[in-house]
Amino acid sequence: MQAAASSTALRLAEVRKMFLTRNGQVVNALAGVSLEVGRSEVVAVLGPSGCGKSTLLRVLAGLDDAYNGTINSDRAAGADARTTERLQSATVFQTDSTLPWMTVEQNLRVGLAGLSIDRATQKERIDRYLGLVGLADFRNAYPHELSGGMRQRVAIARALASEPLLLLMDEPLAALDAQTRLVMQQELLAIWAVTRSTVVYVTHDIAEALALADRVVVMSARPGRIKSVHDVPFPRDRDVIEMRRHPAFRELEVALWKSVAEEVGSSLGAPAKPAASTIGVRIDDIARSV
Amino acid sequence: MTTSPVASDDPATRAIVARTLALQRRQSIMRIVLGAGFPLALFILWEVLARTGLIDQRFFPAPSRIIATTLDTLGNATDRRQLSAGLLVTLARLTVGFVLGAGIGILAGILMGLYMPIRFALGPMVYATFPTPKIAIFPLLIVMFGIGDASKMALVALGVFFMTCMSTLSGVLYANPIYADVAQAFRIPTWTRWTRVIIPSALPAIVTGLKLGLGQALILVVSAEFVSSQNGLGHFIWNSWQVLDIPRMFMGLVVVGIIGGCAVLAGDTLERRLIPWARH
Repeated sequence: MQAAASSTALRLAEVRKMFLTRNGQVVNALAGVSLEVGRSEVVAVLGPSGCGKSTLLRVLAGLDDAYNGTINSDRAAGADARTTERLQSATVFQTDSTLPWMTVEQNLRVGLAGLSIDRATQKERIDRYLGLVGLADFRNAYPHELSGGMRQRVAIARALASEPLLLLMDEPLAALDAQTRLVMQQELLAIWAVTRSTVVYVTHDIAEALALADRVVVMSARPGRIKSVHDVPFPRDRDVIEMRRHPAFRELEVALWKSVAEEVGSSLGAPAKPAASTIGVRIDDIARSV
Repeated sequence: MTTSPVASDDPATRAIVARTLALQRRQSIMRIVLGAGFPLALFILWEVLARTGLIDQRFFPAPSRIIATTLDTLGNATDRRQLSAGLLVTLARLTVGFVLGAGIGILAGILMGLYMPIRFALGPMVYATFPTPKIAIFPLLIVMFGIGDASKMALVALGVFFMTCMSTLSGVLYANPIYADVAQAFRIPTWTRWTRVIIPSALPAIVTGLKLGLGQALILVVSAEFVSSQNGLGHFIWNSWQVLDIPRMFMGLVVVGIIGGCAVLAGDTLERRLIPWARH
């Protein structure tokens, strides 16, 4: 058990979550999710809208305690020597989560408030991660003076600066333009190579999931459960653009498209059709529109 | 915000800049002319109506006469002392009552917003007593605090309490939930959470409550002084009315108006200082 705990950063067993609607109906959000994430592993979670991806992440972030099942993580395992300098977990939210009354720098600093690191270390980390997301010149700006994409980069830098053992990201790059997104993907790979964070990365962008993850988990339509798990056969020092040439990349991409598209179909109430080659574009459109 | 220096040597750019500046200038001129001109026009109308005898000069003396009386009073040492003493007394009651009411109100609002049991315990009581005209409770306050300053301060505090408490409560309850999520997800320590997340997120609502409370405070202090006082601006106005010294009454009204204007100005300044991010 002790040996397993050292290689597994996060273990979910039969995690269930339901919501009650206003008229008392039960909505199953998560129907028994079981997953193991290894230490320093990057797992991408793919799935149609409303399949419970964000719910899963909120549960992992400790924002929602009303679930069934067990979650064993580094956090539950208790503090080790590093916990005073690194957060057990940090989250990048899907929507703008910068605090508008603080400058960019203060936004990063408040994320470090739970750590016992001295001011010099704080400053060093803030400088480093602001530089990494390309916002070094905007440290004294307020969020309302920045574009949506820049604000999201502040949120990313804030989470990274806490150097969390477990990094939770909920479609963090969705608000960014396509070019910046590619650059940020490459940056994230480089950052994780240094911080060795364990990452759970929720996205609906299949290419992004492949670009970043060691494993891709596809979730079913609501109620969310894990439908399939795919290993990504690329080393971590990959090139997010060059890897697209690789046949294995395209193979996986098509397989994932089909897998997700089935779920989109069933969540729209339509029976999932076997995908013929000519349907490819149409599936694309469906998946993109959700 | 991204500052790109204007290439002012480019004639096309210069033309656009000049046009924008001209537009801004026209707008600010119009704002001043209309903002000052309209009240001035009303004063002139009043002056004309009074002089022609269309309105009763005994109750609505011409503005020129009010100004003359004011200058007269300010020139007379006894009158001046009376007015400034009244002003000071009223301001003291206002300030003490306001600070007391706002402090308790903001604290109660935050606690009610954050802790459900406190909200459930205090909520119904606060909402049930809120619609009661505060001045109606004044006799009760006199019984409790005596006929001196304390009862008037308590009355002001009560009015300010309701405004700030309810406004702060809604500010905490309806703050974007993402802020609380961030605080929780990053395990921000309690004290930092309060000072850097919870209170700032409710600050726009708190400031609104303070501004509403200030108006309420002014109404209540003057009303209380009408009813039961031998000093203060309210007494000055009421007494002038009773001895039918109408220009003197108007003078009192002007002073109260000036306090109100200063209060609004202070509130706006506070708003700009405390919540710079909301200004755009």
